[in-house]
Amino acid sequence: MSAKFLPCGVYHEDYKHDHAFWQTKFVKGKMILLFLLTFVFIPMSAGSYWLSVCNQIGYTVLCALGVQLLIGYTGLITLGHAAFVAVGAYTSTLLVLQFHWPQFFLDWGLAYPFSIIVAGLTAGLWSVLFGLPSAKVKGFYLILTTMAAQFITVDFILTQYVSQIGGRGQAFSLPPGTIKIGPWIIDDEVKVYYLMAVLVTLMVFALANLVRSRPGRAWIAIRDNDISAEVMGINIVWYKLLAFFVAGFMAGIAGAFWVSNTAALSPEHFTWSWSLWLVGVILIGGVGSVDGIIFGSIFMVLVMELLQMATIYLGDFFPQLMMKFLYVKESAFGLAICAFLIYEPRGLSYRWWQIKNYFNLWPFSY
Amino acid sequence: MELFLMSLSTGIMVGGIYALVALGWVLIYKCSGVLNLAMGELTLIGAYVTLTFYSIGIPFILSILLSLIVGIILGILVERIFLDKLIGEPLLAVIMVTVGISFFLKGIIEFIWGTETRVFTPPVFPLKPFTIGFLKISTVYFWSFLLAIVVFGAFVAFFKYTRWGLAMQATADDETAALSLGVSARFVYAAAWAIAFTAAGIGGALLGNINGVNISVGYLGLLVLPAVVLGGLNSVPGALMGGLIIGVLQNLAGTYLDRYFPGGVKEVFPFAFMVVFLLFKPYGLWGWERIERV
Repeated sequence: MSAKFLPCGVYHEDYKHDHAFWQTKFVKGKMILLFLLTFVFIPMSAGSYWLSVCNQIGYTVLCALGVQLLIGYTGLITLGHAAFVAVGAYTSTLLVLQFHWPQFFLDWGLAYPFSIIVAGLTAGLWSVLFGLPSAKVKGFYLILTTMAAQFITVDFILTQYVSQIGGRGQAFSLPPGTIKIGPWIIDDEVKVYYLMAVLVTLMVFALANLVRSRPGRAWIAIRDNDISAEVMGINIVWYKLLAFFVAGFMAGIAGAFWVSNTAALSPEHFTWSWSLWLVGVILIGGVGSVDGIIFGSIFMVLVMELLQMATIYLGDFFPQLMMKFLYVKESAFGLAICAFLIYEPRGLSYRWWQIKNYFNLWPFSY
Repeated sequence: MELFLMSLSTGIMVGGIYALVALGWVLIYKCSGVLNLAMGELTLIGAYVTLTFYSIGIPFILSILLSLIVGIILGILVERIFLDKLIGEPLLAVIMVTVGISFFLKGIIEFIWGTETRVFTPPVFPLKPFTIGFLKISTVYFWSFLLAIVVFGAFVAFFKYTRWGLAMQATADDETAALSLGVSARFVYAAAWAIAFTAAGIGGALLGNINGVNISVGYLGLLVLPAVVLGGLNSVPGALMGGLIIGVLQNLAGTYLDRYFPGGVKEVFPFAFMVVFLLFKPYGLWGWERIERV
């Protein structure tokens, strides 16, 4: 999906123009509109229910960014990404709760923002640790090492040891007021929404620019054919580990953000099915496209919300359905993945691309 | 010493069941190149279906046979509905379809049978352990192991000596050549899935006898993945050895390491071992080493 057709009558006259991130004024205008939509329109008009749906979407986007980078751009299939999200979430929480910050740090509200960055770095390094086998193995064997990351990190280290720190038992909970950025205490949906919007914008921007830079081109070369990439002088071990690091960093930030939304933390938030869910999201959105992450997240979260509404509505007639909603949700997700892979293997972003091209080339589409 | 022998024998017994499930996995991979991540759910289905038949009063062996029939039908259905359309698609697509199938089946299983643990009542095997020399072996483990090994042998014989088995081996070896000799690839794929369902189903029924049936039996079904990798993805003897090794390692880890790392070391040790193992032998013990060219 790399080729983008420019609208009729637009020509590039120099390289600067050709390499620009936003190639026409029209695109720039659209982006400004999108920016206004996310930062002004949605928080002003949406109620707290829809804002929480938006936060859910944003969290999914943040988590799926790393998965997209690994699977869609570098061709390293990962089925254990929730582990790195969990590492980020736990790092951030432990830093906020257990670390003895200097008082001015707390007063200025720097503890949580600082912990977000540390969470990203920790998760990135943890991810590199499990990416190391990728130097030698690939394909299915690599999938298994990422699965091992999931089970070792979440089911063993976090559940058995990290959760016991501070003697709170299985779940951490953050007392109100601890999550504070500068003068703002993140305590309601709107503030969480703004935090989410800022992080998503930054991260999507970073990823979109990263994949069109030197590392990005190296990753794509490795994805397309790793042996020829190596022949062309790309240090594939270094770039694979870099991909793991960046993906882990993004996952860590996602985890640290999630803490602000729930104010509680337990290993059950980061199960293996969440890892699989993330891969499903990018498959539905479209593998190898940044738009795809966003489309996939919006689609999956909205479909699940609609299913939930339908269940609540039907629950008046069939009360036992309510209790089994979780299972219906799982089945529906499984079917959605299968259906997309069979009937729409290039995902939603491919449709979006087609629609855009139709309008860009209209009326002379030949 | 006695403790060591105890965990060793238990490990071998459980390993036999893993080997059986791993065989189902290797089969699908060999015949159609599909990496099946829905193995845990296949085991679960086998366990639950057998349990359901058993609890309405059908003898255990008969209910296993009935669950085999259900397994064959389900296997063929799954292959025809989902995987038939994906022959020749990239690795990720095929894997993720099996992930989709696993979500789908898991949802359905939970919908039908719920999540609480169910046990075989009355117990199929006597609860009293019997002793060989100074070794105490629980009857469940012993009979499960015996049954697993017999079924494993039956499957291997099936591949070596029957027409269908030979056709499947031929497809695994070279699909185009097999097609040109008149082997129906679609039949072979369907048969591979049916057999995988039955192997996993028997494994699930046996595992369910040990600790009762709940969702965690599906996790035990996933434990065959380290076993498969250890033996090498496309090796039937590797599946047997891998299953036994994983069973033994798991139990030894449970016995000796639990003191130092309390908690679930038994469950994650096979995975940790596998990661380290892969660093040294990236293709498992007997897997085919693929030589890649540009």
